[in-house]
Amino acid sequence: MTAKPVLSVLGPGLIPARAGIGLRAEHYDAVLQTRPAVGWLEVHSENYFGAGGKPLDYLERIRPHYPLSLHGVGLSVGSTDPLDHRHLAALKTLIRRFEPALVSEHLSWGSVGGRHFNDLLPLPYTEEALYHLVARVCQTQDVLGRQILIENPSSYLQYVESAMPEWEFLAELAQRSGCGVLLDVNNIYVSARNHGFDARAYLQAIPRPVVQEIHLAGFTVNRFDDGEILIDTHNRLVCPAVWTLYRQAVQRFGRIPTLIEWDTDLPELAVLVAEAERADAILEERHAQAA
Amino acid sequence: MLRLRELQLGFATAVFDDEQNGFDRHIRAAGLSGVRRLQVYRNNSLLSLTGALKAVYPVVCRLVGDEFFNYAAAQYIARHPSRSGDLHEFGEFFAAFLEAFAPATELVYLPDVARLEWAYHQIFHAARHSPLDLATLAQVPAQQQGELHFQLHPAARLLESAFPILRIWQVNQEDYTGDPTVDLTEGGIKLLALRHESLEIEFQVLEDGEFSLLCALAEGRAFATACEQALAAQPGFDLPACFSRHILQGAWVDFHL
Repeated sequence: MTAKPVLSVLGPGLIPARAGIGLRAEHYDAVLQTRPAVGWLEVHSENYFGAGGKPLDYLERIRPHYPLSLHGVGLSVGSTDPLDHRHLAALKTLIRRFEPALVSEHLSWGSVGGRHFNDLLPLPYTEEALYHLVARVCQTQDVLGRQILIENPSSYLQYVESAMPEWEFLAELAQRSGCGVLLDVNNIYVSARNHGFDARAYLQAIPRPVVQEIHLAGFTVNRFDDGEILIDTHNRLVCPAVWTLYRQAVQRFGRIPTLIEWDTDLPELAVLVAEAERADAILEERHAQAA
Repeated sequence: MLRLRELQLGFATAVFDDEQNGFDRHIRAAGLSGVRRLQVYRNNSLLSLTGALKAVYPVVCRLVGDEFFNYAAAQYIARHPSRSGDLHEFGEFFAAFLEAFAPATELVYLPDVARLEWAYHQIFHAARHSPLDLATLAQVPAQQQGELHFQLHPAARLLESAFPILRIWQVNQEDYTGDPTVDLTEGGIKLLALRHESLEIEFQVLEDGEFSLLCALAEGRAFATACEQALAAQPGFDLPACFSRHILQGAWVDFHL
């Protein structure tokens, strides 16, 4: 099967309400050769910040065949260091070159004092942090000249200082900054298990219109003598409980472009495509209901 | 200071410098302890940065083994943290770090292998460049040619080592199937690493004169000076043939008088 030439129909500004997959270097050739029938592709923006070479070359060849989303992991939106304008300029260049339908970042920070941790570190959910995040997201959107989506991360701790739940913080951020929300259903599940909150309450608290993309992935359970913790490893199939939560999310938010993320212990492309088909089936059910 | 800033600085210290700074008082005690929860972030960050380093230095990792590499990476990350959300720049000082890394002193060739891998990494992600304009170059009058300066391709690097680092690199490639032995006494090597238009990267072994010529030009010396240096390094070598070969294969992308 080959992908339909969706671009000519939709133009670069739209992403279909279907499932897509994360494009990783290991699958470049397989994607080019087999053109799997997934709705769209997402890449990590920073992987294409190089001046040239194979990553950009492959993306250029693959781009005409699929709508694209750029997903950032390194901007450190929530950091109290000055916003990295070199990073933003590189992102802007990439956006101009590849015309992605969606551009997203995380509700987290990853650097302080000039030191970068290459991780999505947790924020305290306070008024002060909200004020900071709103300013940073607005600044980012101003520089990029477009709306961005902010994704809820998996978290492994909660601060004593937090004065509101994450969902309230995220909903407020979207309302005050005008950003969209990339709702990672797996991250909601992981954090709900780690902190003992009700994942469905999270879904209910996010206003319907702000959600423009959903992420699905697999996690790992780390067990210790004094308990267990779920880690967002993106290294396996989406678990049954997350599929259930996804179904609920689709019930609430409607048919939202959904991404299958897989970053470590990458399987063959066909495994990702099969996961995307599964998500597509759930999106279709919703469509049938609505009809 | 903003409370958020204070919290982030404290978090960073607790996770990466000093577990005992009492930061866990900011963490809600629920099931797992605050210290344990911070450990998750320490592990995640260390794993991802070590992974990034391993992706740039796969041969160094193969030579020392995973356990040793992970240990060295942790020390490196503490001393030379990533300074950007763009990981392309991370790992720049690894060769110099290995040179001074006491547990690795017996592996005398290791820093140079790391230098080769860093060069490969830089070339891999380097910008494309349009080829040198041969027609315009041909119009430079003979009496001015000595004053020409040339610009090396952004996807080219010159490397020199007292050890057979190319052989070490080659036998440690994943798809290498030949004889894996390396004779460390076989001597040093001078190399040009060059990415072709096809984006394939090639290592070329250079003779003394050739290497001297290319280095001098890459350092910005005028053509006449570079030629003198090359001929001093290797009297009688075929300079014109050597130079035109490098012009034709695209090692030089621009020139000025």
